[in-house]
Amino acid sequence: MCITSSRQLKQVRKEFLDGDARFEKKVMICCGTGCLANGAQEIVDEFDSILRKKRIKGFTIEAVRSTGCHGFCEQGPLVIIEPRGTFYTKVKVKDVADIIEKSIRSDEVIDKHLYTDPATKQKIERYPDVAFFSHQQRIALRNLGKIAPHNIKDYIANGGYQSLAKVLTTMTPDDVITEVSKSGLRGRGGGGFSAGRKWRSCADVESDTHYVICNGDEGDPGAFMDRSIMEGDPHSVLEGLAIAAYAVGAKEGFVYVRDEYPLAVVHMQKAIEDCRKEGLLGENIFETNFCFDVHIARGAGAFVCGESSALMKSVAGEVGEPRAKYVRSVVKGLHDQPTVLNNVETFANIPIIFEKGADWYAGIGTKKSTGTKVFSLVGKVRNTGLIEVPMGITLRQIIFDIGGGIIDDRPFKAVQTGGPSGGCLPESKLDLPVDFDSLTENGSMMGSGGMIVMDDRTCMVDVAKYFTDFLVKESCGKCVPCREGLYQLHKLLVKISEGRGEESDIDRMEQLSEVIVNASLCGLGQSGPNPLLSTLKYFRDEYTAHIRDKRCPAGVCRELITYNITDECTGCMACISACAYHAITGQKKKVHVIDQEKCTKCGACVAACRFNTIDVR
Amino acid sequence: MKQTFDKIPDIIAKHPQNAGSLIMILQDIQKEYNYLPPEALTQTAAALDVPLSKVCSVSTFYNSFSLKPRGRKIVRVCVGTACHIRGSNLIQQQLESTLNLKAGETSKDLEYTLEAVACVGACAMAPVVIINDKYHGSLKVNKAAKLLEKK
Amino acid sequence: MVTLTINGKLVRAREGEMLLDAIRREGIEIPATCQHEAVEPYGACRLCTVEITKADWGGWKNHVTSCLYPVQEGLIVSTHSEDVIRIRKTILDLFLARCPNAELIQNMAAEYGITRTSYEEVPDGNDCILCGLCTRVCDKMGFQAISTVGRGHGKEVAPPLGEAPPDCVGCLACAQICPTNYIKFTDDGTTRTIWGREFELVKCETTGQPTITKEFAAYLVKHRNIPEDYFTRCDSAHREELAKTMGRITHWGRQEEA
Repeated sequence: MCITSSRQLKQVRKEFLDGDARFEKKVMICCGTGCLANGAQEIVDEFDSILRKKRIKGFTIEAVRSTGCHGFCEQGPLVIIEPRGTFYTKVKVKDVADIIEKSIRSDEVIDKHLYTDPATKQKIERYPDVAFFSHQQRIALRNLGKIAPHNIKDYIANGGYQSLAKVLTTMTPDDVITEVSKSGLRGRGGGGFSAGRKWRSCADVESDTHYVICNGDEGDPGAFMDRSIMEGDPHSVLEGLAIAAYAVGAKEGFVYVRDEYPLAVVHMQKAIEDCRKEGLLGENIFETNFCFDVHIARGAGAFVCGESSALMKSVAGEVGEPRAKYVRSVVKGLHDQPTVLNNVETFANIPIIFEKGADWYAGIGTKKSTGTKVFSLVGKVRNTGLIEVPMGITLRQIIFDIGGGIIDDRPFKAVQTGGPSGGCLPESKLDLPVDFDSLTENGSMMGSGGMIVMDDRTCMVDVAKYFTDFLVKESCGKCVPCREGLYQLHKLLVKISEGRGEESDIDRMEQLSEVIVNASLCGLGQSGPNPLLSTLKYFRDEYTAHIRDKRCPAGVCRELITYNITDECTGCMACISACAYHAITGQKKKVHVIDQEKCTKCGACVAACRFNTIDVR
Repeated sequence: MKQTFDKIPDIIAKHPQNAGSLIMILQDIQKEYNYLPPEALTQTAAALDVPLSKVCSVSTFYNSFSLKPRGRKIVRVCVGTACHIRGSNLIQQQLESTLNLKAGETSKDLEYTLEAVACVGACAMAPVVIINDKYHGSLKVNKAAKLLEKK
Repeated sequence: MVTLTINGKLVRAREGEMLLDAIRREGIEIPATCQHEAVEPYGACRLCTVEITKADWGGWKNHVTSCLYPVQEGLIVSTHSEDVIRIRKTILDLFLARCPNAELIQNMAAEYGITRTSYEEVPDGNDCILCGLCTRVCDKMGFQAISTVGRGHGKEVAPPLGEAPPDCVGCLACAQICPTNYIKFTDDGTTRTIWGREFELVKCETTGQPTITKEFAAYLVKHRNIPEDYFTRCDSAHREELAKTMGRITHWGRQEEA
């Protein structure tokens, strides 16, 4: 069958919804990576095997949906029962029969699976009432957790491809670009360049061939929103990509997916094939002159491919070395043709801009950073997961209202945004509104949306060393400032973290950083010193402690710390059996002692101690 | 017994025969054989009419390719930022000493390969270890070595 | 033509020309290790970085690599500003940490007052500065026999699989373009060895002098339409034959067949 008009889309939608109307209840099982790792597939299978044997009125296995990521990965596997929105967390296979019996066959709510608000200690039944969700505004993630990502009809039933139909049949490419510009949408991949302006520059280049590419490489460690969108709502990405293709005159597009994301590859591939079957990709889409097809290119693990010219080389099957950018890729991109490259989240925002209008979108967020942003809220925060919030919300609201504060109520120290190109912001910046410009002004950046929360047990010298090490390994090695400069920067950080630092090293690092920023060929090098510079700016005293006092205040840098058992030790002997190096001795109910000669500072004793009596400093 | 790599031509044939397919062909061959034997590089170069030097360049540039045989069990420690903050370096040390391998090495009997990978996108369940595509999240240092026993 | 200012002097340059060419035409010395007229600009060493601005940029300045940056009307270029010199010094300092024995780097660094690196020397450093001239010239001639392998700090130039490169013809272009003489070869008049591969040299039938490798000769015969027996004669044999077969000179610049 081929869908050729908006009317036919509505027909598909009606059929799907009519089918769904048979069910009194629907069960949404989160099958994002986090929940799958915790056994979500086994739960789906259990529903299937029980429902094969048992008939329930108004309910069949078809009413059980494997959906994309709900974002609250910390609490997975998640099971939601619609229409009430009953929200069960940490569900196990053995719970399924009970859930079917009580919550599906009748309307009983099973208390023990409900989420307990850590602040009020109250059980919460419906997920929209959970603080983690209630402060969010989901636009790019609008379908995640609501639809079955491998079913194109589910997407269409939720209004999918109506925007593409509208664009192709009622708007000129120029109108489309104007609308995107009016929405104020800025690229969600890093720099925050205006999407409308990028599309305009590409469309203005005269050429027989234009390309559109969706960047799903997501190299930033600590960010997984693009993965979740590709896994949980691949069609919104394709629809956005098709709209972009129409706007700039492209006939061919690519989705560049990290090979480490096998499920994303499978779901994107399925979505592309389904679109081809339904005529939503291919020749004369919606009976217009617009012809467009999409291919998947799999990334092979190179952070530098976040740089557009490197990514395009990788799509062409070459080594991902960036090209000097005095010619922009919108002019000379893939195969030297004008190319628009945006990331997954950016494209996922496009369809809804055309559904609800650019003015609606521009009304969300701040004046210069419109709309919402997805963040992966991780690290030492209580509620980790994927969240989407309007731009302009403060860091404090994100970390404390949505994130529920720091694990074990330890003191907040810093939040890292922007991945290896970003920086760490201290407590004094917690009331900073989160948008592209204010993050950059304060020495960090938006990046693709990783937000890593750090507490007093996170060492900032170690964080700077970590990111610099990452970049040394990821540098393509083409230009000298990046290849040799970051290497030397890392050496200096190692020296400091091992207690060999000298006072002059800080100056040396700052001077070297300045050259790396100014002289590197691409963004990887140019922004590479950011984690170091931002930690030097806000946490200089920690560097001084390492250098002058040969001390790591956070208790992280191995050469500068010792493990000691405090007098509160209950003598339970758990640490003794945990220590593989036989460094701990002691008798039952007596305070144990660590032999510093044998201790390798591996941390096994701390993990084993239930009374928090091992002091690391 | 010498391993034969007779599936390589079929894998190559599944893709469009142009340079743009190079990375994906190498990925598929690696999925089949767990690494890229020299035959993979020479045959792919010949089939796609890409110089062998370029194939070598590509196969050594990207992280996911291995030119050395890897173990039957591939243990990947995520060392992404979220995992690092939650102590993945301690877990890596633990696994390194248990397996007596450094990250990137393979045991002589080809049983284990230990890899440190930067972010597998499962940050909410940090720290994470993946053993042959099975994710183990929210790991504690003293539990990491036990993962190996179970297998 | 465009008009721009280099170090305070108005100069004219051809549209599309790179800044470095315009700068050098003015007799201004700036270092560049990865640039060579035989290959496209690459922008790897960053030594040719200069500072640019324009009258209407409101005081904003940018640093660009002059080898890659096309000249522009009204551009104001400083090739030795304080910032630029700091960048060059740091790069040379970093180079010295990796290639302490490379004469080219030593000389360039000395010009900027550096005799020893201030950084930790890289273990197993060698003379390769990873300028990529060798691989690029090899690509450009169509052999594509060698390439870089690995990436980042561990990147190196190598033949495929670390073995004798099958596509190499032993033309020596890589060795001769290498600015630090890192690429080694031997040539005993009969055999030439480079990249671990031995090549037999074609010898002149008249004088016995070696000309070029058999493989290179075959390549040229195939791709450049050169007669097969061309390489079995050395320079002097060619000259001798030419003198014999060409006629006397009738008047300046014109010749007649004998």
